[in-house]
Amino acid sequence: MATSSASLHRHGHVGGVIEDDHAAYQRMVRMLRIGLWLFIISDGFMFTGLFVSRFYLLGGTRPELSQALGLIVTSVLLASSFYMNRAETLIEHGDREGFLRCTLITIGLGLGFFVGVVFLEWPLAASHIGGPAASAMSSVFFMMTGMHAFHVITGILFLLVIYFNGRRGRYTPQRHWMVEACANYWHFVDVVWIFFYPALYLIGTPVALGH
Amino acid sequence: MAASAKVVYCLKNRHKLQIRACPQERGVMKYLRHFLNVSVLVIITTFIVSLLLEFLPLLPQQASVEAISIDTMFSMHFRVISFLFALIVVFMLYSLVVFRNRGGETDPGDHFEGNTGLEIFWTIVPLIIVIYFAFIGAQSLADVTRTEPDALEVDVIAFQWSWSFEYPAYGVTSTTLYLPKDRQTVLNLTSRDVIHSFWVPEFRVKQDALPGKDFVRQLRITPIKTGDYMVRCAELCGGAHAYMNSPVVVVEPEEFEIWLISQQNAGETGDSVTRGKALAETMGCLSCHSTDGTTLVGPTWKNMYGHEVTLIDGTRVMVDELYLRRAILQPNDEIVEGFQPIMPSYEGLLTEEQIADLIAYMKSLE
Amino acid sequence: MKVLKLGILWGLIAQCAGSIIGASLVMFIRILMGRAPIVNSWRVDEPLMVVGGLFGAIGFMYGVGALSDWIKIMRGREAPLPHGHDPRGWSRYFGVSYDHKVIGVQYGITAVGVFLLAGLFALVMRTELARSGLHILRLDNFNTLIGLHGIMMIASILIGVAALMNYLVPMMIGATDMAFPRLNAFAFWLNIPGALLVTSSMFFGGFETGWTGYPPLSAHTFPGVQMFFLGVYIIGLSSILGALNIIATVLCMRAPGMTLFRMPIFVWASLSTSLISLTATQLIGLSFQLVMFERLFGMNFFNPDKGGNVILFQHLFWFYSHPAVYIFVLPGLGIISELLPVFSRKPLFGYRWIAMSSLAIALVGFLVWAHHMFAAGMEEYLRVPFMYSTMLVAVPTGVKFFSWMATLWGGKIETPTPMLFVLGGITVFLFGGLTGPPLGTVSTDLHLHDSYFVVGHFHNTMFGGFVYPFFAAIYYWFPKITGRRMSETMGWLHFWLMTPAFWLMTGGMFWVGLRGMRRRIADYDPALGFDTIHLLVTLSAFLIAISVLIFLGNLIYSAFFGEEAKGNLWASRSPEWQVPSPMPEHNYDEPFVVTGEPYDYGLPGSVYIDLHPRPPEPVRGQPPQLEPATGD
Repeated sequence: MATSSASLHRHGHVGGVIEDDHAAYQRMVRMLRIGLWLFIISDGFMFTGLFVSRFYLLGGTRPELSQALGLIVTSVLLASSFYMNRAETLIEHGDREGFLRCTLITIGLGLGFFVGVVFLEWPLAASHIGGPAASAMSSVFFMMTGMHAFHVITGILFLLVIYFNGRRGRYTPQRHWMVEACANYWHFVDVVWIFFYPALYLIGTPVALGH
Repeated sequence: MAASAKVVYCLKNRHKLQIRACPQERGVMKYLRHFLNVSVLVIITTFIVSLLLEFLPLLPQQASVEAISIDTMFSMHFRVISFLFALIVVFMLYSLVVFRNRGGETDPGDHFEGNTGLEIFWTIVPLIIVIYFAFIGAQSLADVTRTEPDALEVDVIAFQWSWSFEYPAYGVTSTTLYLPKDRQTVLNLTSRDVIHSFWVPEFRVKQDALPGKDFVRQLRITPIKTGDYMVRCAELCGGAHAYMNSPVVVVEPEEFEIWLISQQNAGETGDSVTRGKALAETMGCLSCHSTDGTTLVGPTWKNMYGHEVTLIDGTRVMVDELYLRRAILQPNDEIVEGFQPIMPSYEGLLTEEQIADLIAYMKSLE
Repeated sequence: MKVLKLGILWGLIAQCAGSIIGASLVMFIRILMGRAPIVNSWRVDEPLMVVGGLFGAIGFMYGVGALSDWIKIMRGREAPLPHGHDPRGWSRYFGVSYDHKVIGVQYGITAVGVFLLAGLFALVMRTELARSGLHILRLDNFNTLIGLHGIMMIASILIGVAALMNYLVPMMIGATDMAFPRLNAFAFWLNIPGALLVTSSMFFGGFETGWTGYPPLSAHTFPGVQMFFLGVYIIGLSSILGALNIIATVLCMRAPGMTLFRMPIFVWASLSTSLISLTATQLIGLSFQLVMFERLFGMNFFNPDKGGNVILFQHLFWFYSHPAVYIFVLPGLGIISELLPVFSRKPLFGYRWIAMSSLAIALVGFLVWAHHMFAAGMEEYLRVPFMYSTMLVAVPTGVKFFSWMATLWGGKIETPTPMLFVLGGITVFLFGGLTGPPLGTVSTDLHLHDSYFVVGHFHNTMFGGFVYPFFAAIYYWFPKITGRRMSETMGWLHFWLMTPAFWLMTGGMFWVGLRGMRRRIADYDPALGFDTIHLLVTLSAFLIAISVLIFLGNLIYSAFFGEEAKGNLWASRSPEWQVPSPMPEHNYDEPFVVTGEPYDYGLPGSVYIDLHPRPPEPVRGQPPQLEPATGD
């Protein structure tokens, strides 16, 4: 046991998923979890910077945007977080089919959000407040939604990875760190939007073209 | 002996006993002589260093009320610096000499791990000192930024790479900053392009000039010595930042009135060439282009008109009115060989008549 | 044909390919939109440059092989970490390796390389300044050089800090490697394309903004500024990921019995540093990204005519860039604290206080950024609170100095080369620190801001806080890497040439700064009478350069012909010196157990670690000796 413990100590942190020892896997996941949360904290600072910049530059004004569309995309993103959570819970209980179904729904809703923001809201906003170059206000709007949409896209790519690996049966109730990581990342992106949505759509007096 | 046996037992079983320090001989008395030596040396060194800082001409001359207040702050800082520098350096050098390994000694140094009381002492005392310094610093700042109701207003416009000074109450624009002695002047700083910074070292205070009409910043100066100074841009603004200087002249109040009147009479007269010359001065053209043939940052204007020049791409171009117009509005499209593409565009800053005046002035420099 | 197997070679090839692909992509999209593929020429076409640069960096990471394991894992394959002896020999330093010691050395070599390049820029600049008047440089070249000198030095210091942390932290806490070895390699290799991009800005016209890149100047200057932004962005990403790894390693991989307050003091410094780089770096990335987008898409964050605000940039920028100086100095101060007890043969005085002071500096460091903006025209009510918070930094820094002096006091001090550099570092940093309060007090700062005084202050803190300790660390741990020690004679010469020259250099800078010399100017008025002092400063800069060349010669010579040193050369108590040098492949044959305090020099019979602990009682499912203890 001493020898095997020593070798575990030596190789226990390997990132691959081949170790048989359940305890070693748990230890590894704990470390990866800390890593993921550190990453999220770090990324959160960037979003906080954007959020603060919005209030610094625009103060009590906000861009004139379509309230209906904003509400719809926000609901879609929140719903996707719900399905993400379902997917994670289902794989914990060994329901692979359910996991795949919910992951697919999450991807669909995520894409829906992305399309709603980038392909519907952006052209609409451009007609209200001008394109990214029109004013500081429009620049802030496009930058905040753009950075968030970029994170949504990376999240969708991550979701696709776990979907295809899930189809190959890579995840078990005991071992699905990638699913957990993806879910946490997705919730994080969702939480960021919970701050961005009121900052852009609800707080302050709406201002159309110009400033 | 019994005590030392207890110490040895304690040392050997420390981690079992769950204690950090062991009872042993405290070394304060042992070091008493050394502490006295060090104290004397620290006092002497502090004295020497602070004398040195006091009498070296570290700062430029004091030419404003603000400078007096700031220099008082400086000398307080210098004293604290002298003491702390002496304290640490003397302690270090003394230890190095007295507690050095005199070759081949294998026994270790004295074993003491720390002293909470001492640590608290040298946390609290510096804390009090820095809070006190921040406090007098705040007072000093209030002193420096104090406003007087009858201050003279001057609008300072910074641009790449010169300054222009407007006296709104008198309708005077100048390239030299004239200031009356013993009267507060409030400078309303703004910039036409990038960030610049107004600094006359003899006045000590400094303030950035920001672009944008909503970002006018104020700086208050009360000159106390007549003389010639120089305002230099302190914030990197590209290109000829190093040469962004304009003269500052402090004169007696009566002389200042005379100067103002002479300036008021000088404006708005003369032909196209005179207007062009005045414009070239206020727009800062002459900080990069000479009129006497010397090469500054840009090509000289002397004998420029009507001659051919070689551009960096090898083509030759005749300097005519059209070329000069392009050179003012899109300066970096055609760069004369040997120069750099650093001139800012004056599009939108000059009217058509003004451009014509400038060109007329250039033409006149044969 | 070994050369063909070097990862770095393929990385560079792939970077070129990536750049071409990226640029072509932009041209292709433009053609699809019915526009001309190139605007003017590729050297001023910014979208082409930026997308090309970005794809080039990704290409490098792919080509060097830093992504291959992750791609495998994403495709559901297994990618076990290689273990056992690395058969590649010396060439493993030129390709992806997951061994933290190899990565540490890679970081170190890169840091020295970038340091030399940045130093070269400084020499060119100093030569120009030796006399008043413009002599060898054009204005735009000079302005570009100051920015490049600044940012390359900063990159070099960041990389050097990562070198120290990567090499030392896992060894000191008894881990076999970092928490995430792949991420570690990835973070290191990011620096190569990053540094290349920053340097390449020279070929796109340079950038006239200095390393601070303030808009609106940076929004209007030459296109080279985009490469500068992009390169810094990538190096910043590396710094973030490296910090993440260090924190996870310290939290999860300590040897049994190593409680937080039994860690070597350098680990505390690394932890504090990493907390800053993990979080604050995002803000410099954001600020640079905003200017980048302002240039690319005509956005208006900093354009006052369209509702923007130039001060916002400075807030975002300094929120990182002030704490960044603590990223630079905390590990250096950690090295000083680490080495002083060894060469004084005494315990570190007030271990806990020194450990906590690092953390305190890191945390207070987050609240002081606006002291860079006292004269910048920011909100005036912020001046006084930021003056108070700035002055507070002096308190924990003072605790360090006093504790160091108490560590020396009553010791048996030896002064081999590493100790010389430690002591030199203390004095130089002391003066750097003492010149801080006049800058932190608003009224005196109104005079000193943007003057050469700031330049002198910064060079004192950086040399004392990083360069001297870094040299000390190299002289000290070189035997651990190579099994040979560096020449004492050349080390002595290096120190005694560099130190007086350095004092002369910054002394001159302080002097002219107080007398009214602005920073970042290519030429100065001869009427100010600074010519003689500037000549002296330039000469000292060259002396420093010569001393660094001596160091470099020593480094290369000693690596091959140095005196063998396989054992505990400095009679240190630190874990890594309890095993033979060079360090074995997996650091420790079996996990050691911490049984004592790290710095109990002079305490008979005390040990810090037990290299061969008795096997613990096996408990199924819960291997207790693998769990790092938490708390004290």
